[in-house]
Amino acid sequence: MSIGATHIDHIVVASNNSAATAKLFSENLGIEIKRVMSRPGTGAHMEFAKLQEIVLEFAGPGQPKEGEEPKARLGGFVLAVGDIDAAVATLRKRGVDVGDAHPAVQPGAKIAGIRAGTHGVPLALIQYNAMPAGNDPAGS
Amino acid sequence: MLKKIHHVGVVVQSADEALKFYRDALGLPVTDDRVIEDQGVRGVLLKIGNSEIELLEPTRDDTGVAKFLASRGEGMHHICFESDDVHAELDAARAKGIQLIDEKPRLGLAGMICFLHPKSNHGVLIEYATPLAGGRH
Repeated sequence: MSIGATHIDHIVVASNNSAATAKLFSENLGIEIKRVMSRPGTGAHMEFAKLQEIVLEFAGPGQPKEGEEPKARLGGFVLAVGDIDAAVATLRKRGVDVGDAHPAVQPGAKIAGIRAGTHGVPLALIQYNAMPAGNDPAGS
Repeated sequence: MLKKIHHVGVVVQSADEALKFYRDALGLPVTDDRVIEDQGVRGVLLKIGNSEIELLEPTRDDTGVAKFLASRGEGMHHICFESDDVHAELDAARAKGIQLIDEKPRLGLAGMICFLHPKSNHGVLIEYATPLAGGRH
């Protein structure tokens, strides 16, 4: 029985130079970068493309270290679920080591990481619109 | 033109063991499960939304998948983009000077497929696929 996973929400491409990797993918594959986001003070730089329901997230520092060639890898993916608390409970009943659902960076969303048993894949669950307005620590 | 992400490829030691998580715990349905002899892999596709997760278990030691498993262990191996015309995508990649693994499309689990060399994409292995008319073969 399903845990209510509806689709792959996003796939992470982790890079030591996320801006350069996003640009290269855009040029090589013809995909459009639709959003760019940086977190001041952290050096984190994210760029996003979307193909149908799946977001491709290029994540990492926006600037490479001096003398370092751009290098990227597939850094995991996130499954969207309709009810994250129910999904976490079901997975735990099935013996899966999954963390508690907590507020995600995305406004109104909650996320839970699966900590083991994914066969080498960093994997998490996300539910959008999981928190009522005014109760959103992520700051929507 | 790339339409969507067809699947993400995950290399595993044992597809049967991985299915205990992806099929039994997550509840994802298996849509295909076959050994592709000439590629030395057992491939299992699990449906999720409009895409799939592809589990790849090497069946021989002399394949790229087996070498990936030996050197890096289990994990994400490639990302596959779907196109209506894999031949045109391959020609376009060649014209851009992108290094290729396959000089022409070949039959794979996802239909007619080809791979771009990871060296051309900062180390990420990219697959293009055009599913066969009429579904699985």
